[in-house]
Amino acid sequence: MTTPNDGEMTIGNENDIVMARKTVREVASGLGFGVTDVTRIVTAASELTRNIYLYAGSGVMRWRIINDSHPLRGVELIFEDHGPGIADIEQAMQPGYTSGKGLGMGLPGSKRLMDELEIHSVAGEGTTVKIRKWLR
Amino acid sequence: MAIGTISVIKVRDILLVTVPPDPDDDTVTDLQESVLRAMEIHEARGLVLDISTVETIDSFFARTVTETAKMVGLMGGLTVLAGMRASVAVTTTQLGLKLGKTLTALDVDRAMDLLETKLEMRGSS
Repeated sequence: MTTPNDGEMTIGNENDIVMARKTVREVASGLGFGVTDVTRIVTAASELTRNIYLYAGSGVMRWRIINDSHPLRGVELIFEDHGPGIADIEQAMQPGYTSGKGLGMGLPGSKRLMDELEIHSVAGEGTTVKIRKWLR
Repeated sequence: MAIGTISVIKVRDILLVTVPPDPDDDTVTDLQESVLRAMEIHEARGLVLDISTVETIDSFFARTVTETAKMVGLMGGLTVLAGMRASVAVTTTQLGLKLGKTLTALDVDRAMDLLETKLEMRGSS
């Protein structure tokens, strides 16, 4: 059985968070990440899908295996929603800062667990978070 | 997907709960309620949460477990978190999660020993 190189899934309820974790676990293990890196990637995905569910209500998680053009192979996950957006990204990246519903660990924590994290957000339009981890 | 029901086992005056490998939020919330109810019914003095099969601990899970330990504490009980995997320990720490003053043990055996010692030190109630 071969896993495809990319895919996407809708995040709209709590159970989708579990499904996202399962999908990311399969993709990351399939690519050859070790158990600790798989756990890091799955945990970041859990935090970021929960952010979508908590703050935007619904959104999409896209995943992609990066094996072209770059000397390294890796995994890229994109979390996109059309929720309220983040007014102050710098503030949102501060550990412990939360606009109310969470612990304030999701964004700064995910950044520490991954190799790359990029956020694009427009207040009132939505948020896109892209994370990457490279295979070493 | 089926939600795993949480079973609370009573061993002497200690409650033993095995957390399923990949619990959803409802299961984690259900765990808290089941544990507190069992504390009341069985007049338990301690709780061992076996997390040896748990593959991912995110902020929601960590918060609920910390809260549960606090609530059990208010009811006069001690909580020990048993069997955290190495990969989970690394991830939990790097994510920045704090498990408060929750006691921990390498496995359930050691957790039971730890609880017995701690409860003896407190004196019998």
